[in-house]
Amino acid sequence: MLSYDIVVVGAGGAGMMAALAASEDPDLEVAVLSKIYPTRSHTGAAQGGINAALGNRDPSDSVEKHFRDTVKGSDFLADQDAVEFFTSRMPELIQELDFYGVPFSRDENGRVAQRPFGGASSPRTCYSADKTGHVILHTLYEQCLKRGVKFLHEWFLLSLAVEEGELDGLVALDMRSGAIHPIQAKAAVIATGGFGRIYWNRTTNALNMTGDGTAACFDAGIPLKDPEFVQFHPTGLASSGILMSEACRGEGGHLLNKEGERFMARYAPEKMELGPRDLVSRAIETEIKEGRGFGEGIGAYVQMDLRHLGKEKILERLPQVRALAMHFEGVDIIEEPVPIRPSCHYMMGGIHVVDYKTCRTPIEGILAAGECACISIHGANRLGGNSVADVVLFGKYAGLGAREIAKQRSLPSGKKVKKEADRWIKTFDRMRRKTEGIPVTEIRDKMAETMWNNVGIFRRESEMKEALETVGRLLEDYQDACIGDTSVRYNLAFVHYVEVGNLLKLAKAVALGALHRKESRGSHARADYPKRDDGRFLKHTLIYKKGDDYILQYEPVKITKYRPEERKY
Amino acid sequence: MRYGFFPGCTLESAAKELMISTKKVAAALGIELVELEGWTCCGASHIQDVDDFLATSINARNIALAEQLDAPLLTVCNTCTLMLRTAKQKLDRNEQLKKRVNQGLAEAGVEYRGTVEITHFLWVLVKDYGLDRLKEKVKRPLEGLKVANFYGCHILRPPQIMGFENPLNPQSMERVAEALGAECVDFDQRLACCGFHAVFPAEKEVMKLTGINCLSSKDAGADCLVTPCPLCQMQLDMYQPDAQRGFDQDITVPILHLPQLVGLALGFEPAELGIGRHIVDAIPLLRKKLVTA
Amino acid sequence: MDTVTLRIKRYDGVKEWYQEYQLPYEKGKTLLYSLTKIREELDPTLTFSAACRHAICGSCAVRVNGNAFLACKTSLDQLLETFETERLTLEPLNNFPVIRDLVVDWEPKLERMKAVRPWLIPSEDGDPSEGFRQSPEDFRKIASPTDCILCGICSSECGQLSLNQEGYLDPFILNKAYRFAVDSRDAAPEEHIRPALEKGLWKCLHCMECVTKCPKEIDLAGENAYLRQASIQMGERDNKGARHAYAFVEDVKSKGRLNEVTLPMKTEGFVSTMNRIPFALRLIRKGKINPLHMPREVEGIEGVRKIYEHAQGVKEP
Repeated sequence: MLSYDIVVVGAGGAGMMAALAASEDPDLEVAVLSKIYPTRSHTGAAQGGINAALGNRDPSDSVEKHFRDTVKGSDFLADQDAVEFFTSRMPELIQELDFYGVPFSRDENGRVAQRPFGGASSPRTCYSADKTGHVILHTLYEQCLKRGVKFLHEWFLLSLAVEEGELDGLVALDMRSGAIHPIQAKAAVIATGGFGRIYWNRTTNALNMTGDGTAACFDAGIPLKDPEFVQFHPTGLASSGILMSEACRGEGGHLLNKEGERFMARYAPEKMELGPRDLVSRAIETEIKEGRGFGEGIGAYVQMDLRHLGKEKILERLPQVRALAMHFEGVDIIEEPVPIRPSCHYMMGGIHVVDYKTCRTPIEGILAAGECACISIHGANRLGGNSVADVVLFGKYAGLGAREIAKQRSLPSGKKVKKEADRWIKTFDRMRRKTEGIPVTEIRDKMAETMWNNVGIFRRESEMKEALETVGRLLEDYQDACIGDTSVRYNLAFVHYVEVGNLLKLAKAVALGALHRKESRGSHARADYPKRDDGRFLKHTLIYKKGDDYILQYEPVKITKYRPEERKY
Repeated sequence: MRYGFFPGCTLESAAKELMISTKKVAAALGIELVELEGWTCCGASHIQDVDDFLATSINARNIALAEQLDAPLLTVCNTCTLMLRTAKQKLDRNEQLKKRVNQGLAEAGVEYRGTVEITHFLWVLVKDYGLDRLKEKVKRPLEGLKVANFYGCHILRPPQIMGFENPLNPQSMERVAEALGAECVDFDQRLACCGFHAVFPAEKEVMKLTGINCLSSKDAGADCLVTPCPLCQMQLDMYQPDAQRGFDQDITVPILHLPQLVGLALGFEPAELGIGRHIVDAIPLLRKKLVTA
Repeated sequence: MDTVTLRIKRYDGVKEWYQEYQLPYEKGKTLLYSLTKIREELDPTLTFSAACRHAICGSCAVRVNGNAFLACKTSLDQLLETFETERLTLEPLNNFPVIRDLVVDWEPKLERMKAVRPWLIPSEDGDPSEGFRQSPEDFRKIASPTDCILCGICSSECGQLSLNQEGYLDPFILNKAYRFAVDSRDAAPEEHIRPALEKGLWKCLHCMECVTKCPKEIDLAGENAYLRQASIQMGERDNKGARHAYAFVEDVKSKGRLNEVTLPMKTEGFVSTMNRIPFALRLIRKGKINPLHMPREVEGIEGVRKIYEHAQGVKEP
């Protein structure tokens, strides 16, 4: 049986930072498994930047201000001890990334350049033109090559085996050979990203953002924390959902309705377009709902106008954004406003992390970092520029945490994981042979439709109940799914079957969490409960999965410094 | 129609027949070619590997010579065209560079202003002269002659600099050949590289490529291969016997310069166009095909 | 046009075949949209990779009618128009081992990339806790090369690589070497450049396929020229490529034009040139070269030499 001291699952920003931190100890055998090559990971899609209170552009900025902005942005649902830990360590992490070779844009003094971003009281978002995530991802990969990190390329996590509350191992499919392997490990760092694909095409997320690690943890008994908090990016391209960076608003883009009004004046008179994402998303949807959008129904949109920035500034600061609009919406932002509307962007919730310093989960040996994890530093709403920051910072601490665990634990027996692998071998075999049933894509598309319509930007009790029922039915249909591909070698149809299974489990948790949170907070906007209710809901949702049953619990939020107040921008 | 003519080094030696045929054809079409006095080598895609400022400077001087004639600059070599156009693009997009280059040019008594276009004989035929006019001049349609049009890289790529036609599916060569009455064959290596620029450091690979290029045209049923670039012509013709050594099949195929093909249709005899100077003898083929025509 | 036919090269690990799929024509769609439609509606066994859908992850490059494209950012309409057809042939990238259908194996490429030490060798000006200072001008030098998304299109299209898989480095690998060689924070540009030189830097055919096809419009040919200049400045002048380039530099300075007779000697030296005697005789017989011909100095050669003098003191801005 394959065995490692530490297995990192996912090779995006968090996974590779974890691998780098873990492999600093030469005595430990570390492997990174990922269903796609590291540089394909979704971290690369982050355009705008990474927050750190360096004070390069605004000397009055401070860790304290970053802390406060993040807590306020979270609508007070973030755990403040974790946020303080996060914001205070970000400046040194930027220097570390610089030392690794990240090509940051620079100010005239040669320091890392910073730009304003939504919800930030100072311009503290470090960037590299509009490809910040891309260059960080590639730089981390370079560092992994330098360090000789072992990658299991195109290996797909199937499940985690847990025995008596401790990790026994992981089961993964080597996609190329079709072999299913049990892997013994002392520690596993889950860094598999978000699961925005529960809305399938109505998301900015890459096709592979299916929450595989999150679902595996959920199945293994780790609760999902705050899954109902789904961030909708205000500026997805109207026809494809592809993300137009927040840098567009940061650099001064205007949002216009069909009357040509800068409608943000109604919703955030001071910050205008630089208001936080949830607020801007809802403002756009409200404009559309009230008939001030362009077009109708699912095709409705508002415009983002960047023309006044001028050709030179657009070419210098937003070249990728311009290319995206041209290729995928057929619009040159130098010449015309671009049609945009919200698109599911980010999952604030995720794998329940119990110790932010090490990223441990309730199960010994399993750690989580990045979008798949819920620490929670984003609470009910994440600020722009805090995601890549979260990914690299907690990726690193998860790697260090895994090192500690790997030193303390001895190699588990591997009995459970062996059994678990045998079960998967049978499933793969059965699915390959099954010739009739419901196509996986049909199940997936129904899930996406019900989630978008009923558990989307505005939420109502009756609609969410309907969504829960529909997802429940789809989970039954899933038992009769058919993949239509008999191949052992590189069977993406089977991979997708597992992915859709993962999405269904998670979608149900999103709907359940949302249904029971009878308030509006951050990204969670209830039409039937439009106000935040700190008395009843200043707490984290925790959903456990026991077999097919979902059990709902709550946990208090850690408040160290900032008492909840009304969120105004 | 008057052009500043930039022959390029090969036309003075190994591809002298291209000088001969270009001049004859231009005269017959009524295209006036005024050879630039004192032109130098374009750098042949090599000088920038030592010093790119120098490469830009010498071509700025070449272009400046055409500016003195106040006529567009015409070349018959793909690489010369690319080198000159590269220099022009750099100079026209970068004032600071232009200033520094002109400081050097001033010492040579010339100035680059950016006032003339740089074009290639093929483009002139298609765009300036016009294929209808060309058709009218044809005295001996090349009926029955199956030609494989080998574009060569530098008349197509990079499109950001060349930009005459879509490099993925160009048609200018075919349109010219068809205007002359020839039949065009489609072949895999139509847009391939000849390898000439790496023939010394990568001899083995380039010889293999030469064989692949020749065979590809033959397999498609071509009688001959025609190219708008003397470097492609030299690579495919002069080195053909060397390339043959790596192949069991017979790779022999005659290689013509584009102006030679035009000249044949205009009624010139092969010898008048210097076709007898090729290593792979094209005369027997032409005798057979053209006599019946 | 009612339907579009995609003829796709299939491979299942054992056999290869071409399979045709017909799709109703829809305006304004991408190639990735069509592939997805086939997989979801016609044939779930069709295998290709894709992730981000917006040209940043580099997963979805395939060849269409012999040319490599990123499926996600390539408009189907444009392809049909370019190739003047309603039928396109799709194949996996060239110069990669194929795993299944359109999916290629990157592992050997990433292994090879290590040759150029594709990571920052930090200079002493920086510190892990302080980072570096880097001027905006120095940042601009690395802005374009770090656009590379490792999509493999340049490898697929590279003329030299197609002939010589082992003795040459993929253009994206040379781009990595360049990216660090010009990074003001790097302490040892030579360590990135020398392996490139040893792995056939001068063998590039100058075919310009890489610069033409790169979806990020990286000036790979210009970078290659830089690496060669830098290798010369490192003292690596005694190789065929550098000698050949210098032959041009010297001929232009002395006469203004190339001397084809002395070129082989300058490039290859006496012994190798002797091997070319049959070749030379062949050319002499046809009058292609005249061994006694000495080019005259061109009109204005003094001016040319002054331009050389001027260039010596200038680095291109």
